[in-house]
Amino acid sequence: MVGPSRQRTPNPHLGAYYGIVASAFVSLAILLALAEQLGWSDGSIARLMMLLPLAFYLVIAGASRTLDIEDFFASGRRVPPVYNALVLAAITVGGTGFFAYTGAIFFLGFDALAIGLGWTCGLLLASVLFVPYLRRAGAYTLPAFLGQRFQSREARIAAGAMLIAPTALLLAAEMKIAAAVFAIFMPLPFWLAVLLIALFVAAAGILGGMRSLTWSGSAEFIAGAIGLAVPLIVVSVLLTHLPAPQFTYGEMFGSLQGAETAAGMSPVGPGEIVPVLPETTPLQAGKPFLQSFGTITRAGFFAIFLCIALGTAALPTLLSRSGVTCSVADQRRSTAWALALVALFAITAPSLAAFAKILMFRDMALVPTEGLPAWLSVLSQLQLAQARDVNGDGVIAAGELFVMRDGVALALPILAELPYVLTALMAAAGLAIALAATGSHLFTLGTGLAEDIYGVIDVRPIELPRLMVVWAAIAACALVAAVFLLVAEVDALRSALTAFAFAGATFFPILLLAIWWPRCTAWGALASLGTGFGILFLCLTVGGFFGIAETATGICAASLIAGVLALGAGVAASLYGPAATPSDAAYFEAMRRPDGETLFDQSQARATAAEQRANEE
Amino acid sequence: MAEPVTEIENAARDRHQLRTLAVAITTTSAVLCAVTVAVIYAMPLNRLWFLHFPLGFYLLAQGLLIFAIVVAFWYVRVQERIDHTRSINEEIA
Repeated sequence: MVGPSRQRTPNPHLGAYYGIVASAFVSLAILLALAEQLGWSDGSIARLMMLLPLAFYLVIAGASRTLDIEDFFASGRRVPPVYNALVLAAITVGGTGFFAYTGAIFFLGFDALAIGLGWTCGLLLASVLFVPYLRRAGAYTLPAFLGQRFQSREARIAAGAMLIAPTALLLAAEMKIAAAVFAIFMPLPFWLAVLLIALFVAAAGILGGMRSLTWSGSAEFIAGAIGLAVPLIVVSVLLTHLPAPQFTYGEMFGSLQGAETAAGMSPVGPGEIVPVLPETTPLQAGKPFLQSFGTITRAGFFAIFLCIALGTAALPTLLSRSGVTCSVADQRRSTAWALALVALFAITAPSLAAFAKILMFRDMALVPTEGLPAWLSVLSQLQLAQARDVNGDGVIAAGELFVMRDGVALALPILAELPYVLTALMAAAGLAIALAATGSHLFTLGTGLAEDIYGVIDVRPIELPRLMVVWAAIAACALVAAVFLLVAEVDALRSALTAFAFAGATFFPILLLAIWWPRCTAWGALASLGTGFGILFLCLTVGGFFGIAETATGICAASLIAGVLALGAGVAASLYGPAATPSDAAYFEAMRRPDGETLFDQSQARATAAEQRANEE
Repeated sequence: MAEPVTEIENAARDRHQLRTLAVAITTTSAVLCAVTVAVIYAMPLNRLWFLHFPLGFYLLAQGLLIFAIVVAFWYVRVQERIDHTRSINEEIA
C-alpha cells in the first residue's frame, strides 16, 4: 500500500522575498557609494559591504531552521526549479570559478576556456543522464541512491567513503577562497578568517540542513550575480561605451594585442596549466590572450574539458540536490536553468579577464613616460600585484609586473579607478558565491559521513539522534577543513581540478551503469567504484614518482583512463558475477517511470503503514 | 483480461524507454561532437572573424555555451512530451 502524496506547494511569496533580498543588496551598495563620497574610510565601507550581507544570509539560514527529516535532507521537496538552479550554479562555479577561473583566463586566455566549457557540458550530461532518475529515486545522498539501487550496504558504504575525496577537496578550495577574500577586506589574520568562515558555514548547515542552504544559497547567488555584473558593466561602458561586456570585449582585442606586445609577450610553447599558475606567488603574464593551445596541447585542452564535464555531471554535491524539487520535470528544468546561469558566467568571465589585462598593460606601457600607475600601489597593498625590477636596469617595464591569479577579479575595479565601493562589491559577491558552495560541500560531506557510513552501521529510528549525528559530522568536518587550511598550502584551482577528476573517475561510470543498464549488479558497482577511485588515487600518489598525473593535463588524463577502466570493471563484474536479482530489476523499472512519488518516499510510507498496522494489532 | 493490459503497459514502457534513450544519445552526442569539432578546427577557424572575435575563440568562449543552453531546453521540452505520452498511454491501458 502506498501512502497518499504529500502536498508539495512552493511558497508563492518567494519572488517577493528574493526581490527584497536583491533590493536590499543594491540599496546597501548605493548607500555605501554615497558614504564614500561623504568621506567614509575604505575600511569601513569594505567591512559593512561584507558583514551586513553575511548577517543577512545567517538570518535567512536561521529562519529556515528545521528538525523535520525531509526538510533537513531534501528541503521538503518543494523548491521551485529556478531557486534550486541558483544554488546549483553557485556550487558549480563557486569561489574557485569566480576568482581562480577568471585569473586562469587572464594568464592563459584561450587555453583556459576548457574549464568553463566543461562545467556547462557537465551540467548538460547530468541533466540528461542522471538527474531525473535520481529525483525519481529520491534518496537523500548519492551513496544512499547506490545503496537503494543495488540493495547493498557495502556499495553505500564504499560510495560514502569515496565521496570524501572530491567533496573534501572542493570544500578546502572554496573555504580557502572565502577566507582569503575575508582576510583581505576585513582585515583579519588568515587563521581567524578561516575559523570565522568555518563557523558561518557550519552554523548554516546545522541550523536547517539543505533547507537553510537552499534559501541562504539563493540569496548568496543573487548577491554574487549583482556584485559581479555591476563593476563589470561599468568597466564595459567606460571601455566600449556599451553595457554588454560579453559581446563587446572583442572590439578591444586590437588594444589588447598592442598592450601585450608592449609588455613583451610573445607566443609560448605547450606547457601545463597548474605549474604555470602557482597560487602562492604572484606571476608574470607571459602568454598572449588569443593564442590557441599555447600552454597546453589540443589533446590536453580536450582532456581538461572532458574531465571537468564528467566530474561536474557526477559531482556528489550537485547530485545530492536532485531530490529537492516538486517533480521529475521540475528537476530537469532546474538543471537546465542552472546550465544557463553557469554558461552566462562562463561567457562573462573572459570579458573580465580581457578588460583587466587591457587596463593593466596599457598603463604599464606608459610607465617610461608617465611613471608608475596609481593603481599599482593599491594592488601592492592588497597583495594582489607587485612590480619588480627583474633585469636590474632601474626601470620597471610592463613585463616586470607580477599578478596574483586569484586577485584578477578584485583588481578590475581598482585598475579602472572606479569608486572603492565597487571593489568591495566585487569582493562581497565572490565571498557570497564561495560561501554558498562551501556550505553545500560541507553539508554533503557531513551527511555522507553521518548517513552513509555511520548511519548504515548504527541505525537508530529516533529522529533527533539521527540529526544530531549529522550536526556532529558537519561541525567536525568544518573544524578539520579549517585546521587543514591552516597547516597546508592549498591551491584552489588545482584542488578543484583534482576533485572533478575524482568525481568523474569514481562516480560517473557507476551512475551511468546504475541508471542506464539493468544488468548492473552490486558486484559491478563495487568493482567500478573501487577501480575508478583506486587507479586515480594511485596515479596521484605513486604516479608522482614516475611523472604521471603531476600536471593539470596529467590529472585529467589519469581521471579519464580510470573512468574508462572503471566502466569496464563494472560491466565485467556484472556479467561474470552473480546476476541481478528480480528486486534490482523492479527498482530499475520503477526508477525510470517519470511520474508519481519518489521511490524513497513510497518505501517510507509503506514502512509507516506497516508500523501502524503492527501497533493496531 | 489482465494480460492484454500488461502487454499494452509494457509496450508503452518500452516505447518510452527507447525514445528516452534516443533523445539522451542525440542530446549528448550533438554537444560533444560540436565541442570536438570546434577544438580540432579552432586554429583554422581563428582566421575567420565573427562579431569582432576570432571564430574559434568565439565558439569555445560563447557559441558552444549558447548551443548547450538551446540543446538543454530543447531536451527538457522533448522529454516532457515523451513522458506525457507514456502517462496518457498508461491511463488508456
